[in-house]
Amino acid sequence: MGMLRVMSRRGDDRVTWDEQKLQEGDPEATAAIREAERIFAQERAKGATAFRLDPGKPAQRIEDFDQTAEQIVLVPRVVGG
Amino acid sequence: MTLITQQVLTTLGWIVLALAISPMVWLIFQPYFKSLSPAERRANGLLHDLLTPEQCRQLVWRGYLEVPSPSTAQRVYRVPRTRGYVQVIENGRAVMRLCVQPVERLPDADVVVLHKLMIEANEEHYLQRANKYLCTD
Repeated sequence: MGMLRVMSRRGDDRVTWDEQKLQEGDPEATAAIREAERIFAQERAKGATAFRLDPGKPAQRIEDFDQTAEQIVLVPRVVGG
Repeated sequence: MTLITQQVLTTLGWIVLALAISPMVWLIFQPYFKSLSPAERRANGLLHDLLTPEQCRQLVWRGYLEVPSPSTAQRVYRVPRTRGYVQVIENGRAVMRLCVQPVERLPDADVVVLHKLMIEANEEHYLQRANKYLCTD
């Protein structure tokens, strides 16, 4: 299962998808991945930074949506306080 | 003094006392109320998914999370559990304070995750964004 987590004032909003079902052409999985891609692009356009998280590995900054990632976290743009 | 006057004065006294201590009570219990909100609960879920048990204990008991610098061996970033400056520790001494915040208001636990991810995966950008205050003592 893949998961996109978007940080917001509500905590984190999540979209999940099943990579295996996606490969089988499952329409729900396809819709979920399209939604995740749309949210990813929308948040990136607002200046969010995306991190790919895989168990046992350090977090990795990514520029493009990766459906093979186990988890992607989007954090909002930061500024000096 | 009549009995009624005495009762009114006693009641007023209790009201004044309650008003005086209510800010202190609020300060003590505020973190618990905040942690009951759905947003904080969700953010805490993400935080606990990303931290090791040792890091969770450090955050709870010491009030900060230490994130080692990926680029400098002797440097550690001390991220507070609640809002505040991130301390930069080098060779055991605080050398700098950093102020970095998200443009959008986030639950405290999400802010800790944000600092951790940015330091671990994007340290250079993180330092570029931060306002830096050198520690002179």
